[in-house]
Amino acid sequence: MSQLETAGTPVLPNTELYGRVLEFLHREAELLDTYKFDAWLALFTEDIDYQMPVRTTRFLTDGEGFEDFGLMAENHASLTTRVRRLETEFAWAEVPPSRTRHFISNVIVEQDGDSIEARACFMVTRTRQDLDYQMYTGQRVDRLVPDGDSFKIARRRILADQTVITGTNLSVLF
Amino acid sequence: MTATPTAPSTRLRNGDALEEIVRPQEGLISRRIFTDPEVFELELERIFGKGWFFIGHDSEIPEPGDLVTRPCGIDPVVLIRDDEGVVHAFLNSCRHRGMRIARTDRDNATFLKCPYHGWSYKNNGELLNAACENHYGEGELVKEELGLIPVAQLGSYHGLWFGTWNEHAPPLDEWLGDMRWYMDIIFGRTGGLEIMGPPQIWEVDTAWKFATDNFTDNFHVFSSHHSLVELGMLPNNPDFAAYGHMIVPGNGHILHFVQGEPGNDDYRGLGLSHDLRAKFDEFLTPEQKSIADDHGYSAGTIWPNFHWLQLISAGDMEAHEEAFLNLRMETPITPTRTRMWSWLAVDKDATPEYRKKVYETYVRTFGPSGIFDQDDMENWEDCTRANIGPAARRYTLHHKMGLKRATATDWPGPGVAYPDSYGEMTQRSWYAQWLTSMTGGNGNGRGA
Repeated sequence: MSQLETAGTPVLPNTELYGRVLEFLHREAELLDTYKFDAWLALFTEDIDYQMPVRTTRFLTDGEGFEDFGLMAENHASLTTRVRRLETEFAWAEVPPSRTRHFISNVIVEQDGDSIEARACFMVTRTRQDLDYQMYTGQRVDRLVPDGDSFKIARRRILADQTVITGTNLSVLF
Repeated sequence: MTATPTAPSTRLRNGDALEEIVRPQEGLISRRIFTDPEVFELELERIFGKGWFFIGHDSEIPEPGDLVTRPCGIDPVVLIRDDEGVVHAFLNSCRHRGMRIARTDRDNATFLKCPYHGWSYKNNGELLNAACENHYGEGELVKEELGLIPVAQLGSYHGLWFGTWNEHAPPLDEWLGDMRWYMDIIFGRTGGLEIMGPPQIWEVDTAWKFATDNFTDNFHVFSSHHSLVELGMLPNNPDFAAYGHMIVPGNGHILHFVQGEPGNDDYRGLGLSHDLRAKFDEFLTPEQKSIADDHGYSAGTIWPNFHWLQLISAGDMEAHEEAFLNLRMETPITPTRTRMWSWLAVDKDATPEYRKKVYETYVRTFGPSGIFDQDDMENWEDCTRANIGPAARRYTLHHKMGLKRATATDWPGPGVAYPDSYGEMTQRSWYAQWLTSMTGGNGNGRGA
């Protein structure tokens, strides 16, 4: 699974567009970390393609180890189901809820016509109950499309660094 | 002085005997066995050092040279198909300094070369070259004696490869025994299965036995997975998964088949598409077919830590009603940390469209991100944390449901069957085998 789907034109950090993309990604992270899941869901297009592939340990000559098989393989309906589930009182993996912090960094923006690719490193920390915090890191590759003054996410690839997920489960959203 | 062979001591250092604190026939299981490092050390030796363990499936290594790296028990092995097509399982460790020689999750290799000193092995395990061979004197390096260390026994059934480190273990066929008849229904129903994709692997802060215990437990579903009841993806009836049978074929293997509420015909034909169900006639006996026809989902445990889950994911998630077959394994890391393995299997003859639906249904509901499975891990972790203290460990856990349950008289398959899929008959059988394995007894694990 190739990370880079477009060979767009680099959008430099001193531009208005770069600033808007960065602000969008930061606000998205804040929505997740403040449990505003419906508002988060509204950031995705109806045909969102949201994938988190399994990563395997492979030799360099065999690529980065991302397989055509997922830890998550979501569309709008299934993302909605995940959010609806979190709203019940019985989603025990998140009841009581995790405190998450989505850190977004190393943002690279490329433009190809109306389509924007935003690549960013993520670090998601998860703390819940009185447990030590858990951590997930990796890169997100997003396809953004214009939506008024802002954007919607049409495609997201979550490329984890871990081949063995050590965070108990993946009940938090990325 | 003459050494007298003795059975392994069943007494722990504080004087408690295992058979006193684990009494499956009474449904009483000490909390201590889930967290105590002393019990864990005995388990590594007496269970993980002696039993049969799942390693991988034929379809994961289809070509000569294909390999995957996995545990057999807890020891790392490389499961590899040699140039002649013969499958081997070797300790993943060089004979020289013990360096891990296969260091990726999968590969294709004619030779396995150790990075440390360059010893290289053919894919049939023979040592081909060693480092600086000209510096060894006569008799110092006998290559014929230094091939990779194979598991003591390797066997397969329906393409599932199992290994054991115990040369005295009964042969795989004998150990699986009557469970094979039921494995035919799950793994042989349409003439063969294959694994889709790599396993999902994750780690949970739990005692491994909480995960195994959960796999034959039907009545946790309504409570543990109640969010799915709220979403309309599970029936709003606490008894919905009670309609079926639990079966105890012996040797600690256990399983159940569920047929759903009376009148609910979704729970039929193992939930498979109708073109796949049509193949039952060809590959199953009439008795096996009657079970496959009448039941929708099934969970089984091949002693001690390998499971199948043939599951209908009812409800929406885009109305995907195709059943999926999940294979699971848990391997302990410490008394309270466990590595989970989860595979998706699909019938070889399934169409691409069907595979896609099965895949999406599985990934969204099971595995580390699955909206069903997430909550199980929560249970196992909190069970582990709440059972570890000096007060908790003095008490037992309650496994008494169905102690006096009558057996089914009209079940067409082998083993002891119960006409109800709520009960702890199967869990008690699993703990009876645990006790047998830990104390060196000869029971057959039918302690329900």
